[in-house]
Amino acid sequence: MQKMEQASSVADRTRFLSVFKSMGLSPVALVLFAVLAVAPLIVEDEYINTLMVSCLLFGAQAMAFDFTAGYINVVNFGFSGLVGLGAYTSALLAVRLGVSPWLGLVGATVVAGMVGFLVGLLTLRLRGIFAAVMAWFVGLTLMELATAMVDLTRGSLGLNVPLFLDTAARRPYYYILFPIVIGIYVLLRVVTRSDFGLACRAIGQNIDVARASGVNPTKYRVINFTISCALAGLLGGYYAHYIGILTPGVMATTHTTEVLVLSYIGGKGSIWGALVAAFLIIPIFEYLKPLMQFRLVLYGVFLVLATIVYPTGLAGLSRSIGGWFREQRRKAKQNRHKSP
Amino acid sequence: MAFTDLFDVLITGILRGGIYALMALGLALVFGVMNISNFAHGEFYMIGAYVAFFAIKAFGLDPIPAIVVAGLAGFVMGIVIEKGIFYSLRRRSKEEWVMNTFLVTVGLSFIIQNMAFILWGATYRGTDAYWKGTIQITPGMGVSVDRVVSFLIAIVTMAAFWLFLRRTQTGRAIRAVSQEERGATLVGINLNNIHTLTFALSCMLAGVAGGSLLSITQAYPAMGAKPLLASWLVVIMVGLGNVSGSIIGGLIVGVLEAASYYFLGAGWQNVVSLIVLILILLFKPSGLLGTEVKGVLER
Repeated sequence: MQKMEQASSVADRTRFLSVFKSMGLSPVALVLFAVLAVAPLIVEDEYINTLMVSCLLFGAQAMAFDFTAGYINVVNFGFSGLVGLGAYTSALLAVRLGVSPWLGLVGATVVAGMVGFLVGLLTLRLRGIFAAVMAWFVGLTLMELATAMVDLTRGSLGLNVPLFLDTAARRPYYYILFPIVIGIYVLLRVVTRSDFGLACRAIGQNIDVARASGVNPTKYRVINFTISCALAGLLGGYYAHYIGILTPGVMATTHTTEVLVLSYIGGKGSIWGALVAAFLIIPIFEYLKPLMQFRLVLYGVFLVLATIVYPTGLAGLSRSIGGWFREQRRKAKQNRHKSP
Repeated sequence: MAFTDLFDVLITGILRGGIYALMALGLALVFGVMNISNFAHGEFYMIGAYVAFFAIKAFGLDPIPAIVVAGLAGFVMGIVIEKGIFYSLRRRSKEEWVMNTFLVTVGLSFIIQNMAFILWGATYRGTDAYWKGTIQITPGMGVSVDRVVSFLIAIVTMAAFWLFLRRTQTGRAIRAVSQEERGATLVGINLNNIHTLTFALSCMLAGVAGGSLLSITQAYPAMGAKPLLASWLVVIMVGLGNVSGSIIGGLIVGVLEAASYYFLGAGWQNVVSLIVLILILLFKPSGLLGTEVKGVLER
């Protein structure tokens, strides 16, 4: 009787764990997220809290970016244009129509997703590099529109945006963003583990073989692209009501490159790597801020080195460390069998 | 709006377009021969402008020698970058070559651009007009001599380049590599040398473009962005890998820009160009003059 209870509780526990696992929350990830959840409660420092918000924001952008770059192998080089589109959508809804920032986030997601869908329909019939360049054109065009439509967006004068809350303290903003980021993480992990994710990965690896196996590349690529763009819009909307002032500069290609570097250092096609990379790289660069220009040079150097020397990034590093441990354990086991 | 206005727009656009064609020619060449989509192309334009500036201000050179020096600087820089980066990348892996080189050039553009900021600061450096005066084309419009001369420089450079590709042994070797790499090696062409030479030549064209426009657009670290965008527009519009088509494409983009400036005012050039590009790609995905050259379908 007792044994049965024990067995069922073990089964419960494994089922419980596997639910988390299917959401991409391994024990390590759960611990890390728990640390992130309590960190601002322990650290009172406003500066560090601001930094943490930046890490989350960039990390989440890099995850959304990785979802296209790492899976369907399309570099969305107009990514910051879509982030900016979301930001301006939410901001303009709030400023011109008085819509609450919370609803604005929904609006930002929907609009960026729709534009992403149209861009995807247009460009993703084209192969790899064409798609990247077309997305880049679209991003630049969005930026130019935001600059040129002065009556609506106040152009480069900057648009004052109402904040989420009346307070200037950073901690509440952290806790607004944190669930969003977890949501994005879980969504992307679930999607990439599904059949849909498998199809995307197949397309990214070899489009012709994928097509021969009955996967319609355009359909999957467009859906993937739409999701990524919608998430970019959501994060842009958050950014607008967090920072309080918007200029077309948010859409500059430089920001796309920063996000791209984070996702590549994190490791293509891992999702979590991008978030970890953000928490590693952004604080380092923050302390290098006095060397502003060198900071950007370093981004470039990182990108070149990551591509030439270590294309698998942090995810690849963790895989090889994990592999090394397993190897050691296997050897130890073998020795134990031999020794008696 | 009179007919002469349209004529003015056309002339302005064509004069602008010459330099875009020169830039796009280099971009298309590198894509056709090496399969590299070069996002650092604008930075060589910027370096050309800076070199011309220093050649004129510090060494007191005349405009034409200064432009030649700018081109040479681009050439040398191209050799260094090809040997230093693309050569090692090529030896390491050919897998995902197009995407990897794209990322590398994005990184390079970051490095070069911000190094220029560190070295030369965020000040605009220009010269007085190379050649003073304006040419009255129609009663309503005069064009500065510099504009016309820069257009002529672009045309002469492109003509010389075309002759080089058609008539010389080396030029034929470059075209052979762009058509069929393996075949080219079989007849004894040294691929590494051709790749380095091609990249260097492409950078040289960008350097010449930057140098010859110095009196019109001043040297500035971020100045490469606009010509880069324009030359990519050209290349996508006519179809990647189409080297001679980039000349026509450059003129088209120039005219589009001039027209949007004339009809809509400043700040709408990209919007207009993008819409035209979308229309073209909707009906002809491989570009206006697109052929399925090596690279277009390669991933």
